Amino acid sequence: MIINHPLLGPRDAAEFVYKGDASLINRPNWQADDAAELFHEYLYLRDNPAGQHRELWYHEQGDRSWLIVTRNTLTHEISNVEFARDVALAERPKK
Amino acid sequence: MPNYTLTARTPLDGFSHDFNGVSVTEVNGRSIVSIATSLGGGEALSKALAKTYKLKIPEPGKSTVSSLDNAVLLGMAQDQTFLVFDDHTEDKPVDVVSKHLKDTAYFTDQSDSYVMLRVSGENSRSVLERICPIDLHPSVFPEGSVSRTIMEHLGTVIVHEKANTFLLMSARSSAKSFLEAVEVSALNIG
Amino acid sequence: MSQINRIEGGLINRSKKLSFTFNGQSLEGYEGDTLASALLANGHRMVGRSFKYHRPRGIFSAGSEEPNALVQLRTGAYQEPNTRATVTELFHGLEATSQNHRGSLKYDFMAVNDLFSSFLSAGFYYKTFMWPKAFWEKFYEPVIRAAAGLGRLSGQDDPDIYDKGFLHCDVLVVGAGAAGLSAALSAGRAGARVILMDEDFCMGGRLNVETLSVNDQSGSEWATQALAELSAMDNVRLMTRTTAYGAYDHGIVGALERVTDHLISSENKPRQILWRVYTKRTILCAGATERPIAFGNNDRPGVMLAGAVRAYVNRWGALPGKRVAVFTNNDDGWRTATDLAAKGVEITAVIDSRDGQPPVDVPKGAAIVMGGRIVDTKGRHGIRSITLSNGQQIPVDCLAVSGGWSPNVQLTCHQRGRPTWRDDIAAFVPGGELPQGMSVAGAASGNLSLSSVLLNGHDIGNSVVSDLGFTPSKVKASSSEEETTGISAFWHVRESKARAWLDLQNDVTVKDVKLSHQEGFRSVEHLKRYTTLGMATDQGKTANIPALAVMAECTGKSLPETGTTIFRPPYTPVAIGALAGRARGKDFRPSRLSPSHSWAKEQGAIFVEAGMWYRAQWFPRSGETHWRQSVDREVTQTRASVGVCDVTTLGKIDVQGRDAAQFLNKVYANAFAKLPVGKVRYGIMLREDGIMMDDGTSARFAENHFVMTTTTANAVSVFRHMEFCRQCLWPEMDVHLISSTEQYAQFAVAGPNARKLLQKVVDSDHDISNEAFPFMGCGEITVCGGVPTRLFRISFSGELAYEIAVPTRYGDSLVRTLIAAGEEFDVTPYGTEALGVMRIEKGHAAGNELNGQTTARDLGMGRMVSKKKDSIGNTLSEREGLNLENGLSLVGFRPVNRSEELKAGFHFISKGNTANMANDEGWMSSVAFSPNLGHSIGLGFIKRGSERLGEIVIATDPLRGGEMDVEIVSAHFIDPEGERLRA
Repeated sequence: MIINHPLLGPRDAAEFVYKGDASLINRPNWQADDAAELFHEYLYLRDNPAGQHRELWYHEQGDRSWLIVTRNTLTHEISNVEFARDVALAERPKK
Repeated sequence: MPNYTLTARTPLDGFSHDFNGVSVTEVNGRSIVSIATSLGGGEALSKALAKTYKLKIPEPGKSTVSSLDNAVLLGMAQDQTFLVFDDHTEDKPVDVVSKHLKDTAYFTDQSDSYVMLRVSGENSRSVLERICPIDLHPSVFPEGSVSRTIMEHLGTVIVHEKANTFLLMSARSSAKSFLEAVEVSALNIG
Repeated sequence: MSQINRIEGGLINRSKKLSFTFNGQSLEGYEGDTLASALLANGHRMVGRSFKYHRPRGIFSAGSEEPNALVQLRTGAYQEPNTRATVTELFHGLEATSQNHRGSLKYDFMAVNDLFSSFLSAGFYYKTFMWPKAFWEKFYEPVIRAAAGLGRLSGQDDPDIYDKGFLHCDVLVVGAGAAGLSAALSAGRAGARVILMDEDFCMGGRLNVETLSVNDQSGSEWATQALAELSAMDNVRLMTRTTAYGAYDHGIVGALERVTDHLISSENKPRQILWRVYTKRTILCAGATERPIAFGNNDRPGVMLAGAVRAYVNRWGALPGKRVAVFTNNDDGWRTATDLAAKGVEITAVIDSRDGQPPVDVPKGAAIVMGGRIVDTKGRHGIRSITLSNGQQIPVDCLAVSGGWSPNVQLTCHQRGRPTWRDDIAAFVPGGELPQGMSVAGAASGNLSLSSVLLNGHDIGNSVVSDLGFTPSKVKASSSEEETTGISAFWHVRESKARAWLDLQNDVTVKDVKLSHQEGFRSVEHLKRYTTLGMATDQGKTANIPALAVMAECTGKSLPETGTTIFRPPYTPVAIGALAGRARGKDFRPSRLSPSHSWAKEQGAIFVEAGMWYRAQWFPRSGETHWRQSVDREVTQTRASVGVCDVTTLGKIDVQGRDAAQFLNKVYANAFAKLPVGKVRYGIMLREDGIMMDDGTSARFAENHFVMTTTTANAVSVFRHMEFCRQCLWPEMDVHLISSTEQYAQFAVAGPNARKLLQKVVDSDHDISNEAFPFMGCGEITVCGGVPTRLFRISFSGELAYEIAVPTRYGDSLVRTLIAAGEEFDVTPYGTEALGVMRIEKGHAAGNELNGQTTARDLGMGRMVSKKKDSIGNTLSEREGLNLENGLSLVGFRPVNRSEELKAGFHFISKGNTANMANDEGWMSSVAFSPNLGHSIGLGFIKRGSERLGEIVIATDPLRGGEMDVEIVSAHFIDPEGERLRA
């Protein structure tokens, strides 16, 4: 398996560690009224799509970046690789 | 003052050996300081590096070379470089770097974190292809290229210093295992 | 003995004779021979016994598809069973033996199985050994085990070495026959980085075995010339003896190079290399495999594939027989007759299953039977005659059979591509979705004439490189004469009454396939499992398609409707040793050595593996015969005076940035933001689900600079987790992390004399008195005349203690210095055992307590979890289920009878209750013998533990046995007020 790192190019999966669904970057607000419920959903409820799946990979034996990899669970094709940090910043509500 | 003095020991006690078409030598006397760019601090660091070391911040995967202290700046990640330079101070490489770069970035001494091996000679790529998963062909990994990858389960930084010469940096505690990985490769070829 | 069946010609080096033995008999061959060609040249037809029926078997093919000629090579520890003679390169001194017989090869006692063949049909194991059940273990299984299998392993460690490696290229060409050479020439000439690999030791594929010409040269001459051009290109790498055995995710190809299998000794070089090939494009030029036709007793030695017969004659000058008949359903089979006749071999008959006229000129003297059928053969140890459906018997000593050619589609299917059927060539061709980047050229794609193969290889090579952005060269494709390739599908002779073999390796006959259909096995995958068709070393390369055809006949479906079984890697067998590579014995994984390792070894320390680390467990002194003596002494000496322990292995993370304090506040459950500079704090880290992840300390060296420690075991995962927090959860924070575990040699110096000892090495301008450097203080100092040092006043043992860290290069020197300077205090080094005893005495949690199931509350640290801030795990730690009134809590235990020994893993039951799961109230997590208290002590979790101090409960170990009364006590067995560590 090869992940095409946005800066470093194609790298073998042996350099990476898998974490899980990319939604893990959207951590709920601890002060919300229903924080317990939100954290429960955040941590335990996942979609299991047959098709496109956005998932977190850590380039542990590389530049130590967390990446969001869009992978098709049916074909194993990887169509997009982004820095998770960039995605997290872009998805922040504007102040 | 105490009646005791401490003596330094290198990870492999100065290993050096010539194999068939390849030499493997432990590199010592170099300091390594990690330079982490603070949020929004890239410009100040760039200026300081340009002024003192006459260096540009390399892209990750590239390196730049300075005449000051024979320094090489390795692009490790988007916000991190390693400055590798001649060690001529009293074990305080961070002080040396801070003297030049002030507080434009966060510095961490990594000089004792690595064993450094230089693999050189006409067979160096043949030796490395047994343990290095990344493509070292000059068209893909030209001189000056830097990469962090995994060799025989060990995280390794590889630098293409010049034609057929590669610098490998891996964790100091597993230096013996790492040397063995390189030695076995050198013995196993052709 | 002379080579009685050796004739003129071929690609062997007759100036280089090679001696070898087969079943102890000395024979000779030539350089360039395979074991199979040399055996044939020496007149050996029978080379083994079949798997189930122990029928005599001979050489069937001339390649890696061989189902029959499996032999054992070499002797002693080097012995290798089930090696295909057809791809075994001959070398001087080769020792080969036949397999699967008791007694001699000719007179095998197990051949009795053949007489009972009607009981050994498909599914025989499943049916026969079901009853009585008690017979299985004592009788059936031992008997089956003794009879099963072909060759035998040596039973010794494999003395060879293996290696692996990584290759990169633009274009990988698999197979160096006419298509592969043409494709490689196209790609190489365009300037792409090309790897061309072939399983044979001589590249050229069927160009080396056919008499067809290319560009007015012989095929093999053209191949030699193409190889010369390719090897002159810097951008092309040629790899002989290398099989691409699997096509994996994202275009990766696995390949096995047999480096020294053709040598008598590996001479300390790897025998085989497993390559992982990263390629942008793969051109599969794997050729095609000829299939047999099934008819009565078609398994006798001397019955061979037609293409193989002429291969032996043309490439090796080895004659499989002197009176040869051909049985074919296609034009290509006739080529064997014409090639052999041209060499003066007697062709007794050509039997073509098709009606009509012979497609080529008939060899002189041969009987031609169009629309013919062979129903049976005769000959005990080798074929002597064939019987046609009209009853005519024709004497032969070799029968060349051709049922047509099947493209080698295997690699195209490794990513679940499914081949499609082509009626015109009666074969499956690559279809469906091919592995990423793969194209197929030549016979593998269904081009079965040489001229089409050359053109196809050339064109695909060009289109692949232009796709990659290279400019194809203008050189034209090489060409060959036209040939006829007509075929009419014909799979088995229905008129045969005798058993007709489909799978020679697994002894599967037409009858077996029909039987399995009768018994309800309708899917090809079921057929395979029930009959074992297509299993083992050859993976049914010659057997599958004819067997599927028979099955299709039974079901009334077409062949494409029946489909094939799924092809999986490896294409040909790969030794487990090659997959393991170097990862054997001590090289299974790297080892990490702490800075004091050499010194500890000199002291005779006993080491324990903790992850990859080697840590000193205890340091035996002379006279100590039991580990407990050493450990007790280390504990006693440390508590009485001073001890030194290497704690370098703890993870150290350098945390810097304007938001470093805020960041730690978020990853630790307890508060860190207001930790003053120069202070250390104990911190607990939770997982997001509220369970304890890790614990450690963080020291603040400057406003924006912390040094964190983690447990040894979690160093990597905590760093990963913190990077996740930094990059994904709080990317707006200015904070940086870098591991400094390797950077510092760190030693714990513990005991009442710890300060006095340190004062002997610390430079005088640094004051480490209790006032200047109190408990939980930290600072940067120098030792031994200027060596930069970090000092932490922290204690895991419960004693007055420090941790001292110097750059790793000084670690070895520092431990020697501390021991030398501590002589006046009777200092002792202590290992992880004494460390464990002291932390249990002190009631400190460690890995056994942080087992991924326990919460801060369970550990008695519930109040540390701040409710005033957001940090990982704090919200979910408040869940009801983690805060039950009768929840677990960590307490100490001691045996009521003090002489009894506690065991970790004990479960706790209230007095009066039965010891069962329902009454289980907790478990013992850590135990030790406390030399200070003089009895066994333990830490453990029990429901409402902190409220039950003084209660006696039952500790039981149902798994290993043992039960005793234990008393619940405070976890702090030593110095509960913490006076010592503040001294």
